[in-house]
Amino acid sequence: MKQSIKSTLVLFLICAVMAVLLALTNAFTAPKIQANLEAAANEALLVVMPEGKDFKKMDLSSYTLPATVTEAYSEAGGGYVITITTSGYGSNFIIMCGVSADGKVTGTTCLSSSETLGHEKTYGANFIGKDAAGVDGVDTISGATKTTAAYKSAMKDAINAAIILGGGSVDIRTEEEILAENLATALPEGNGEFTKLFIVEVIEGIDAVYNANNAAGYVYVIGEQFIGVPAGTTPENATVATAHAILTATTTTEVDLSAYEGLPSALISASKTQTGNYILNLKGAGYGINGGNEYHPASGEYIYIRVSMTPDGKIIDCLTYAQSETPNIGSACADEKFYSQFVGKTEETYDNIDAIAGATLTTDGYKKAILRAFESVKILEGGAK
Amino acid sequence: MKNNGNLAILLKGILKENPVFVLILGTCPTLAMTKNVGDAFGMGLAALAVLLCSNVLVSLLRKVIPDTVRIPCYIVIIASFVTIVQMIVKAELPELDKNLGVFLPLITVNCIILGRAEMFAGKNSVGKSALDGIGMGLGFTLALVLMSTVREVLGNASFAGHAIAFLEPYKIKFLVEAPGGMLVYGCLIALVYVITKGKAPLKKSFSCAGCPNAANCHTACTELPADSGEKGDA
Amino acid sequence: MELFESLIVILLGSVLVNNYVLAQFMGICPFLGVSKKLDQATGMGIAVTAVMLLATAVTWPIQYFLLDKVGLGYMQTIVFILVIASLVQMLELLLKKFSPALHKGLGVYLPLITTNCAVLGVAINNIDEGYTFLESMVNSLGVGLGFLLAMVLFSGLRSRIDETNVPKPFRGLAVTLIAASFISLAFMGFAGIVDALFA
Repeated sequence: MKQSIKSTLVLFLICAVMAVLLALTNAFTAPKIQANLEAAANEALLVVMPEGKDFKKMDLSSYTLPATVTEAYSEAGGGYVITITTSGYGSNFIIMCGVSADGKVTGTTCLSSSETLGHEKTYGANFIGKDAAGVDGVDTISGATKTTAAYKSAMKDAINAAIILGGGSVDIRTEEEILAENLATALPEGNGEFTKLFIVEVIEGIDAVYNANNAAGYVYVIGEQFIGVPAGTTPENATVATAHAILTATTTTEVDLSAYEGLPSALISASKTQTGNYILNLKGAGYGINGGNEYHPASGEYIYIRVSMTPDGKIIDCLTYAQSETPNIGSACADEKFYSQFVGKTEETYDNIDAIAGATLTTDGYKKAILRAFESVKILEGGAK
Repeated sequence: MKNNGNLAILLKGILKENPVFVLILGTCPTLAMTKNVGDAFGMGLAALAVLLCSNVLVSLLRKVIPDTVRIPCYIVIIASFVTIVQMIVKAELPELDKNLGVFLPLITVNCIILGRAEMFAGKNSVGKSALDGIGMGLGFTLALVLMSTVREVLGNASFAGHAIAFLEPYKIKFLVEAPGGMLVYGCLIALVYVITKGKAPLKKSFSCAGCPNAANCHTACTELPADSGEKGDA
Repeated sequence: MELFESLIVILLGSVLVNNYVLAQFMGICPFLGVSKKLDQATGMGIAVTAVMLLATAVTWPIQYFLLDKVGLGYMQTIVFILVIASLVQMLELLLKKFSPALHKGLGVYLPLITTNCAVLGVAINNIDEGYTFLESMVNSLGVGLGFLLAMVLFSGLRSRIDETNVPKPFRGLAVTLIAASFISLAFMGFAGIVDALFA
């Protein structure tokens, strides 16, 4: 018993003495270790801001920053180092970007990426010295449009974030958010929920028409101007009044396709307005259908396209209403930016549009379907068999 | 060893009982930290410092520590000195700390140190224990530097970071990878055997005595094959 | 799903790519010492895996809920090694009392594990890598299984060495190390395999 008490006591004493020794050493070395750790962390920051001094990590909770900003460091000279996490070619990549006090990029480095071509490692150098406006002018990496676009938007977000952190203000709303706000202001009765109207009649001077989902009325867009027309009222603006009259008077009748011969199989259905315009529903061959050269494959993943067209073959409106292309790549065929390019095009000019980056087959399949629309209208205009 | 002069105590660790090539102790850092001479030297000196300090303290306390709790006491002492060395390295040589990584705290379980505490320092005077610690530590350092020299010169065409231009086209990159470490170690052990003409007190004589857990593991020592010598302590 | 993927990556990474014995050089001594017979190699491997899981389950909470809370992070090494040593002792006592059969099978390997640097290594690495508790446990399981795999593979190879005529200077440890080097070389082939798994 005595022996075991002695053993425990000795072990305990040794532990205590060693603990004190450790605490003493720690007191001497801890500040230096802390300084070393900070220096090591700053090394990464110095890469993107070689003249930076005294970096401090910032608490971002009190700022409204672009959603892609994940970390930020302030610097003694008024600059900031911003870490951006964004999606590139199908996966995330993380970019660290230094921004000087006057809003110019001092350096960037790609911390993590699984981009396919490896350009992102060297591409960042092109942005040094650029400000928000200069970012767009940087050359695109050929064959890696998506990466380039992601990099550019990351640079813009970083510069905007630095301006906001510095006390300035930048409009960081996305295009969608701005549109939603304009619509809601123009027609408060719409409760903020609007659908873009598919136009089937030629209306002059109007850029777009939005329909309130609760049938409270329409919003007409002329340039930057948003004009709300509540249901049952007559608009004051003459251009809008004319357009409104045409739109509200439109009636359509289904066309019996079996009465016609030689219609392309890409044509699903067609209807005609009382003024003689056609509304065609078509299916285009997507990427999943090997090729895109076949415009009417027996089965597979189609891109469903709605086109309205004058009897003489000019596209009034165009819309992708269903698709299942590769997310983040071919799926861009459902972006208004892409399909609205066909508005106003004829059989001679429809080919002249910007392809979807990285999705040549999807673009080709889409164009083929549009070509079938022109052919269909010609046959429908030629009369029943 | 008992009645030889102090010089012999100092020297035996370097040659006759070299912990790495003869006693085959501390194999893990030997393999892991010999990719380049700089890291090997740092590792060796860190172990030397811990070994010296723990040997001195264990020897000082050898009459105070009851036999039953001596292993836990040794472990506490060693782990504390390792932590102290770790703090100093972290503060003064952050680069080395990064390179040694987890092998710096792992000096704690390097059986050279526990082995010397158990086999030597627990039974001898402070002065002799200090000499033993220095000798063994130097032996460990020299072995590491020798092995890393072979690996770095042949594998990376450089010595302690300085490139050796004429070897550049002939470098055998495999030697600085993990398998190369084992290959070089195996060959060096064979070489030491040839040099000492097989007279080095290899294997059995050290297998169980050298094991700090010898008291706990009679079964293991008699049941396990005794030919490879190092008996499961790393 | 992402959690599952990341766990699989950690598990396969520690079993194959970063095998502690063959790529990181931790736990070399038992690997060389107790790999002569298949049953011993298996017993040691299983005992190490069990102790690693147990040690991680105890050291992880100690680090995050005790040491970090009171600012004694620098006591990591000393606390961990004491915890591991006590755990091994306790495990041995418990086995002896409640399962003599298992104690006979694994008990003899337990005292050797205290000073197996792979156990302390995995406990420290789990903290250094910033793994969550679940990730730490999976990593420890992977490291243990990787150790078991290396032991079993190597014991097969060693039984062949015994049948050959090895030049005298190479007999014993030297040829064993060279054989281990070949297994390690084979494991180098796994490099990069895990990164490509879910890419």
